[in-house]
Amino acid sequence: MIAFSLFVAWHIFASFLWIAPPSPLREVVPAKMLSGYMLPMFGQSWSVFAPEPINGDYRIKVRAVTNASGEEQVTEWVDATEVELSMIQYNLFPPRAGLGAYEVASQLKGSFDKLTDDHRVIAGLNYFDEDWQSRLEQKMKGYGQPELVDAYVKAEAQALAYSSQVAFAMWGQENVVRVQYQVTRQNIVPFAKRHDPEAERPPVQHVTTGWRGTVVRDGQNSAAFEDVFVRQYEKIQQEGTK
Amino acid sequence: MTKQHLPQTNRPIRTAWIFLKLLFSHLVGIAKTVVVSIASALDSWLLDSRKALYGIAVTRMLLGLSALGLLLSNYSTRLYSFGSGSVWNGEVIEPKSDFPKIWLFSLFHRAITNDYTYSLLYIALIALAVLVIVGWRTRIVLPAFLVMWVSFIEANDMLGDQGDNMFRIAVLIMLFMDTSRRWSFDAKRRDKQKSSADQSVPGQLGNLLHNLGLVALTAQVCFVYASGALYKAGGAPWSGGYAVYNPLQTERFGTWPVLSDFVTSWGPMVAVATWGSIIIQFAFVFLLLTRPTRIIGLIGILSFHIGIAVLMGLPWFSLTMVAIDSIFIRDRTWKGMSARVQHLALKARTLASGAASREI
Repeated sequence: MIAFSLFVAWHIFASFLWIAPPSPLREVVPAKMLSGYMLPMFGQSWSVFAPEPINGDYRIKVRAVTNASGEEQVTEWVDATEVELSMIQYNLFPPRAGLGAYEVASQLKGSFDKLTDDHRVIAGLNYFDEDWQSRLEQKMKGYGQPELVDAYVKAEAQALAYSSQVAFAMWGQENVVRVQYQVTRQNIVPFAKRHDPEAERPPVQHVTTGWRGTVVRDGQNSAAFEDVFVRQYEKIQQEGTK
Repeated sequence: MTKQHLPQTNRPIRTAWIFLKLLFSHLVGIAKTVVVSIASALDSWLLDSRKALYGIAVTRMLLGLSALGLLLSNYSTRLYSFGSGSVWNGEVIEPKSDFPKIWLFSLFHRAITNDYTYSLLYIALIALAVLVIVGWRTRIVLPAFLVMWVSFIEANDMLGDQGDNMFRIAVLIMLFMDTSRRWSFDAKRRDKQKSSADQSVPGQLGNLLHNLGLVALTAQVCFVYASGALYKAGGAPWSGGYAVYNPLQTERFGTWPVLSDFVTSWGPMVAVATWGSIIIQFAFVFLLLTRPTRIIGLIGILSFHIGIAVLMGLPWFSLTMVAIDSIFIRDRTWKGMSARVQHLALKARTLASGAASREI
């Protein structure tokens, strides 16, 4: 009985240290011992919306160069975030399908913001011919801070794998030659100005990246992506024209 | 000559010494009694019976309902968000969570690229959630459900939220508890067999594990609320009393824009909601201590969660939290509620049959 009780006492103490904001009290238990016990089973983080809640919208738009009739053409932008978010708006039981584009955009923006100006200039160039991913990475690393470049290249690979799916769904995989995405963040009207009819939202922050080759990961089922994305896209088109 | 004086000069010191000794042994006696009675109270609280059996049964049902709700509301888009349509997120090659790397929890992760297997597993998980709700063979079903659930939800880190963590931790603790003693198929079956072994040695061990689980779950949820408040308290929008406005104005967390504008229109209400969130979270553990304040605490936290569920589009996160808070409602209150519902049902039935017989 004592053994069980002592174990639970340890569990509660460890949970307390893990859940509470970091404080000098954590020195009582070696950090490795604490994380070794808590992870992965008791992994959690409760700094949700703290110290400041989110106050802006992330978006990702996608366009492509297509080659349907033997002639290359640039498509219109498709707002993937709008398509997905429409699944969760005014829906008491929203599917998590509505969150992917938002997460892709927010992760990409986060890693792009950490880059230096030199890196960002490179990101704005076009890279789509053979070996473009490693050439882009090499060029960026020429300007130092390889760990930031690694994080960015990873986020970009994800954004491109997503954008490629959007492009395939919209214009057909066989037609898409290369893609471009546009990630933005725009803050909301500040609380104090919410009743001001003149109030405008702060300017849109852009992530500027060039044209890229498509990225398709092994095992990706483009049809499964297309089914949902196109259905939802057509749904909001119809609602828009009503 | 000095020898004669010694006892005289020493007498007051001696008296004081004896007094102190007596006092000390008396105090030790009191301390011993206190320790012994606390220990025996603790002993009997831990060993004599299982506490909050109705509350934990409600927790089981609501957690099952939360899982079922999440699975059903994602059913038609499951391949897009979690299955073969979501391989672009890179988790098939390099999972972000540790769970897919653990054999038992890699079930769903391994099935992502196979639509047929994935859907089969998904439907099996739905079935397990239903069995958890009705409390059928819980000792076997609940561990199986936990393994499958974790393997499902952790295979995609990108779309997860903290509700998933809370859910996993709560169900893990509940494996050591008696969650189907009340309001379950297990209870019905046991009633027929009429075997109650609460006072036997294995029965006492069961009581101990159940009650320790209850303590751990209580600590978990209280820490979560209190630390949530501490984290927030430092932020300017929170201390400024307008923090709830911000997420409600974004597209991601303001899923009912018209409603968001409506509830954030009147400033004082925004401040009440903002500060109220912090106060109710921080005060929750203290409010639990007495019955009248407990009622205030539970109603407060329930409205907090209903707000999150509806306005921010996080119903399953909220239901998970509400499910766990159910353990703080006394068995007597749950029994009373159930009796009232049964009474109403009976009344409705007699009224209906009365009406039916009149029609004939």
